[in-house]
Amino acid sequence: MRYVIKMNRQGLSEINFRNKMDLVWTVAVARFKTLARYKGWLIMDVSIPIVFAALPVLLGMALGGANAASNFSTNLQELTGASTENFQIYMLIGANVFMIVSNSLWQVGFWIRRERMTGTLETIYLAPASRLLVLAGVSLYANLRSILVFFISFTIGCLIFGVQPFQGQFLLAILFLLAGLIPLWGVSFFFGSIVMKLKEANAIINVVQLGISFLMGVYFPIEIFPKVLQWVALSFPPTWMTNGVRSSILGLSYFLDQWYLDFAVLWLFALLFPIMGLFAFQRIENSIKKNEGVGHF
Amino acid sequence: MSSAVNLERPGKINKPIIKIEKMSKTFVSKDRKGVFKGKMKKVEALKEVDLEIMEGEIFGLLGPNGAGKTTLIKCLTTLLLPTSGQAEINGYNLMKEDNMVRTSMGCMLMGERGMYWKLTGRENLDYFGALYHIPKPVRKKKIDELIDLLKLQDFMDRTVETYSSGQKMILAFAKALINEAPILVLDEPTVTMDVHAARELREIVKDLNAKGHTILYTTHIMQEAEELCDRIAIIDKGIIMAIGTPEELKMMVEHEDIVTVEGIISKDAVLALKSIHGVKDSIITSEKNGLSVISVTCENSREILPGIIETITRHGGRIELISPETVSLEDVFIKLTGRSLSTDTREVIKEEKSGQN
Repeated sequence: MRYVIKMNRQGLSEINFRNKMDLVWTVAVARFKTLARYKGWLIMDVSIPIVFAALPVLLGMALGGANAASNFSTNLQELTGASTENFQIYMLIGANVFMIVSNSLWQVGFWIRRERMTGTLETIYLAPASRLLVLAGVSLYANLRSILVFFISFTIGCLIFGVQPFQGQFLLAILFLLAGLIPLWGVSFFFGSIVMKLKEANAIINVVQLGISFLMGVYFPIEIFPKVLQWVALSFPPTWMTNGVRSSILGLSYFLDQWYLDFAVLWLFALLFPIMGLFAFQRIENSIKKNEGVGHF
Repeated sequence: MSSAVNLERPGKINKPIIKIEKMSKTFVSKDRKGVFKGKMKKVEALKEVDLEIMEGEIFGLLGPNGAGKTTLIKCLTTLLLPTSGQAEINGYNLMKEDNMVRTSMGCMLMGERGMYWKLTGRENLDYFGALYHIPKPVRKKKIDELIDLLKLQDFMDRTVETYSSGQKMILAFAKALINEAPILVLDEPTVTMDVHAARELREIVKDLNAKGHTILYTTHIMQEAEELCDRIAIIDKGIIMAIGTPEELKMMVEHEDIVTVEGIISKDAVLALKSIHGVKDSIITSEKNGLSVISVTCENSREILPGIIETITRHGGRIELISPETVSLEDVFIKLTGRSLSTDTREVIKEEKSGQN
């Protein structure tokens, strides 16, 4: 005679706020553990912005010689109405913010592709956890990694170029950096949904980051663009993020003259972009589930 | 989390825990021709499937590759949205309460895939436990229990990339058990395991069932289905062909004799066997290194045996072994579909379509 044990209908699952936050943290920690086992990634993250900044810095020095800094300052004054001779930090900030944007794209977009290929994406979809919480965990990891890399890379870069890293309103720069990360989540979610649909990550990431790096003004002020392109550039949160960090550290001009106005625009992006990104993600996720499913790659 | 013991109803409970009504699934894919040309085509993977799986039973889905087993499982586990139809799982509506449907199931669907190779087995289980919103202390305790139950001590703290195929499979099985769900969905769980590990896993499945888990088990290994399942559904081309206990299914062919002949046997001989009076069917069940195994279904094997031998030798064949066979689920499948379980359904559909053209 067999006796049947009546199981709890939900098994061990307890869906509450605490366990949801635990999930976000566990997702982020799992990725940090993986990062710790691929030490080369961190070295690559730190060195790329320095190399990216070194290219225009050295080119400027080669072309401008002893006048490189003053040429840069004069031209910047003409374009933006404010100037600095510290073109090394100007380039380092651009390259480092670009690295944050690039990391967000790779770590969300490529994350989806990689998890799809290894089968872990299907496992995530088999569980009751909201995909948004998993995405939040991945974004948390991407952001913490980016900020860590920013500080290490920026400091080492400044030491290499022989300039003082911590100057101007450094705390305000950090605020701009943090505020800019939130709309980046939205960009990343949107981007992740495209990767889910098209199943191709590398080519898309390269094209998108090339476009963003061009528009966000990694190496130059966006005032150099024609008016139409300036408006396009201003619709990207990374453009405001780069300018905000540069202006607070180097005393350059804000797009809307006052730091708090630029900061408010970034917060507006922070409200809009994640909603738009999540909407796109959920729409595409639903359409994929209607046909071949998320595990198909 | 405590589980209350219900001693009121001995034996199996006759209440459906999974109820599927007229579920269909159609995929749209593109047949590529050359560089730019492509033609959209529709593939009906499930056709109006009706099915009830009772609480506390081990239910087997038996069918060849491409029959629709995995599509049905993926629809039930919310990985795919059915094109039409509905289902209720553990009392939750599949479409409206998908989150609760997922809490009700522990799944092993992708074999040894679906694991983070740079994390250890323990870290993987912790991660997947968090995905089920299991509180951290409960998760830790559950992982320790699973390590003991499945004897994972030797490799749990190594990264998964160092595991053997069998170790990855057993970890995938542990992952399915992490949330202690009332329903376990196991899709070909023993497929890359060695004989010993597969036997142990089947014993654990039986134990889990005895503890109250309802188990949905897909396989194309008929012995496994016969050993484990209380009831079996035979599925092919997206249609449930028959449902019943293994004994009920075998009753469908039990009044017939089956003779297995092994040797060098031509396809002409197999066709010729069908024309012998009293032979109901003859089919090649396997072919390897020039040797064929054929299965002849007939009314009275003793009477027909000389005719079988004569026909094969007349067609230039050489017989190495003749044996009468007890009826298996494979024979049931052959009776229902006219072919062996080892034949991929997708290949059959392709051949049928090219025949029509």
